[in-house]
Parts: sequence; C-alpha cells; structure tokens
Amino acid sequence: MKEFLMLIREDANYGELSAEEMQACIEKHYRWVEELTEKGQFKEAQPLEAGGAHIRGKQRIVSDGPFLEGKECVSGYYILLAESLEEAIEIAKGNPDLDWDRAVEVREIMPMED
Amino acid sequence: MDTSGQLAAHFFREHSGRMVASLARVYGMEHLDAILDAVQDTFETALTHWRYHGPPHHPRAWLSRVARNKLINALKHASRHHHVGDTEALLHDVSTTDPDPWPADEANTDGQLQLLVACCHPALGERDRILITLHILCGFGIPELANALQMKTEAVKKAVQRSKALLRQKTPNLRQLNLADAARQSPTVCTILYLVFNEGYKATRNAKGIDFDLCYEALRLAKLLHTAAPAEAEVDALLALMFFGVARFPARLAAYGDWIPLEDQNRSLWDQQLIAEGFRYLDQAQHSGYAGNYYLEALIASHHCAAPDFEATDWKAIHHLYQLLENLEPASTLIRLNRLIAKSYAIGPLPVITELETIAVDGTPGIAFLLAATKAHVYQRAGNTTRARAAYEEALSLAQNPLDSQLIRKRMEAI
Repeated sequence: MKEFLMLIREDANYGELSAEEMQACIEKHYRWVEELTEKGQFKEAQPLEAGGAHIRGKQRIVSDGPFLEGKECVSGYYILLAESLEEAIEIAKGNPDLDWDRAVEVREIMPMED
Repeated sequence: MDTSGQLAAHFFREHSGRMVASLARVYGMEHLDAILDAVQDTFETALTHWRYHGPPHHPRAWLSRVARNKLINALKHASRHHHVGDTEALLHDVSTTDPDPWPADEANTDGQLQLLVACCHPALGERDRILITLHILCGFGIPELANALQMKTEAVKKAVQRSKALLRQKTPNLRQLNLADAARQSPTVCTILYLVFNEGYKATRNAKGIDFDLCYEALRLAKLLHTAAPAEAEVDALLALMFFGVARFPARLAAYGDWIPLEDQNRSLWDQQLIAEGFRYLDQAQHSGYAGNYYLEALIASHHCAAPDFEATDWKAIHHLYQLLENLEPASTLIRLNRLIAKSYAIGPLPVITELETIAVDGTPGIAFLLAATKAHVYQRAGNTTRARAAYEEALSLAQNPLDSQLIRKRMEAI
C-alpha cells in the first residue's frame, strides 16, 4: 500500500455559498471520508489556516505569500492509501470539493528505500 | 474523523437565525452588522473544519461559542480603532455578569420571535420585510434571496442595507420586546409569513415550480409565532393552510418536473401525517369563531385534502367558501377566478362562461395566463373545442415558465 498526498486548492472565499450549500458541502465530505475509511483508503486529513508566510532564498525574504482572498491556494490536505497512482486518482475524483469547482492535486509520497 | 454523525436537515439555516437572535439580545441590535458578519464567518469556519474532521459532538454549542468569540473580537477591534471606549466595558460586563450568555432553548425561541417581530416592523415595506426576515432569521444570503424572489442582486443588497439601518434604529433592545408584544403584532407577522409561503408555492415565475425552502421556512417561523400566540386563531388557521399545502407538494410535481393538475394527482402521495397536522390546527382555529381569509383558505384546502378522489370533492362547499372569501376581498381577481372554477365543478361549465368572459385582468402577476387557461379548460369541458383551442393559444403566449407551457401543450394535445 502506498501513501498519496492530496492537496486541495481553492480560493478561500465562501461569500457566495448559502447556509444550505455549506451544510451540504460538509455532509458530502463526511460521507465520502466515511466511505474511504471503510475501504481502508483514508489515513488522515487536515485543513490549513488561510494565513501564513512565504520565505525565499538566501536572504530569507519573508512575504505574505499567495494567501490573498480571491487567489487559489492550498486549503488543506489528505493522506490517501492506494496501490497505485491510478487508483489514487480514482479515489481523488470522488472528492466532493470538485463539485464546488475546487481543484485537487495527487502526489505519491516517496518512501525511504531500505 | 468524528463519529457524531449527521447534522439535522436545515441545521445551518435554522441556527443562523438562532445565533443572530442570541447575539442581538446580549450585545444589542446596534451591532447587527457585526453580528451578521460574525455568524456568516462562523459558518465559513465550520465549513473549513467540519469538512475535514466531521461535525463536533455538540455542533450547536460549537457554533455558538465560535460566533460569540468572533463577535467579541470584532467589537474589540472596532472599539480600538474608533475609540468607542465603553465597548470594552460592555464586553467585560457581559462575560462576567451574565452567567449564561447562551440561554436555553426556551429563551432562545423568545429571542428569535422578538427578532421576527422586529423584522416585520410596519415601517418597512412588504417586500423589504420579506427580504429582511429571510436574511436575518433564515440565513438567506444576498444571491439566494435574489434567486428566490427573482430580483436583481443589487436591488436585494440595497433593500437589505436599508432595512438593517432601520432595524438598528427602531429596535435598539430586543429584551424590551416581550412576548405579549409579539402576540399583539402577530397579524403583521402572519401577513409576511403568508407571503413568504406563497412566494415559494406560486409557480408563476420559477422553473423549479415550488420553492420548498421558502415554504419550509415560512412554516417553521409560523410555528415559532404559534409559541408566542397560541391563542391566536389566525396563526392556527395560517398553520393549517401551510400544512395542507406542503402535504400535497409531492403530488403536484411529476418526477420529470411537470405540473400535475389536481384532477390527475396521485392522492396516495399526499402526506397524511402533514394533513393530520393541518386538521389539528384547523380544529383549534375553529373554536374561536375567527373567519378571516387564512381560515377560509385553510377550509378550502381541507376539503381537497379530505376528498378521496377528484370526483368526490365537495365543490358546492368550496364554491360557498370562495364566495365568503370574495366578500372579504372583493377586488381580488384570483379569488373570483377560483370561485368560478369551483362553481364550474359544482354545477357545470356552461353557467360560468358568461361571467368568465366579463373578468378583467388586474395587476396580479400571472393572472392573464390563469384567466386564459381557465377559460380554455372550461370551454373544453363544455365541448366548445374551437373556443378552447383559441384560449389555450392565448394562454401559451402568456405563459411565463416552462412548466406552465408544458401543461398547456399537453391539454391542447388532449382536445
């Protein structure tokens, strides 16, 4: 079993979502993760705080980073369990975030070779 | 992930009004904007966290705590920037002297009621009252309101701003509004809830047919009003009317979204439990001798609900009730039209044709279409296919949504 990192990218502006839609979004995720857990495909998931810092280069230049409202940035991550990238992609396609037009990125976590 | 399970249906929407009411009671209506922002913000935070971790064990307490903290932070921030001075003292006061800033359910119901009465303030126009009630008590956002009431987003935004300013000004302290006031103002509130319900029920402008959300919210708020004014027959009658309406929703629309006229509805789809609720409220209204328009409308609906099939409908009684309703509202073309339809089933289509032809169209939205469609159907039943066809053509040209056009085409094919 391999581990895959799934990053959620979205512009963190929920202003247009109604209360009903927000609730629907939460419920869809809840059911989806429950399903993944049953199949043994879920390891963990965490949201990321919208703020943060971007530090670059030898000068250690600190900037606010691309976390401005209205810009797409990473809003959270999942660790998925799958046999192959193909399988991980199929799992990722089930993420309800896609129904709200967000984007996800799936990458295999490279284990240390023995 | 948490295993606390699913949220109740409409949990967020209902808690939106609940939280606004609690916060407005404790911190005052003058902070209405900050309160609404804090509540919206709280839902966004919930969306961020619950999406990953599932809802917490006590979602209600979680929302309340987060909303309160957000509001306190916002108010502190504002006082720091504008030197309001005593906000800090107010915040301090509240957190130390109020042992339970999150009142139990009963008090919270009162809070929502007080807010409901405030939103139905007579100084606001009818449409503004509908908008602000849905916005503040039901958590409808601006785009949602624009969509539900077929208005431009900008117009909704302006109306809501205007109403909020007036509410801040007219209702500085919700605690001063007591339940007796709420009961006294129940007729105004009833009018607004009746309009919200009809807005959801009427099919004239909406491709969906019925906007269940609006009807559901009107029903929920009417039940809330009933807790303050249980002795008001008008509220009972309104609730009866609403229950008879929602009970029949499942049969009104086909799975593929077409209208199904009363005579073709599968009555086994009517929700008998909701109908029973309707009769319970109708019973309560009956004992008071109140005979206003909600009561008459509820009685008419009760006759439909009680009929085992279309042929068994007591059209004579319904016709009589429409006559009484017409006496109350002589200017309403819609009521007159409905009376004639009832009469056509009670004694036959021919006797109503003359009167149908004399009806002039008034300003009621969609009335021209209804009139043409009614004429067509009556002519069809009277065997005058030429007249029927012409009237259907006219109705088709007046139809304002695909469901109506679809129904007319079907009827034309049947000639």
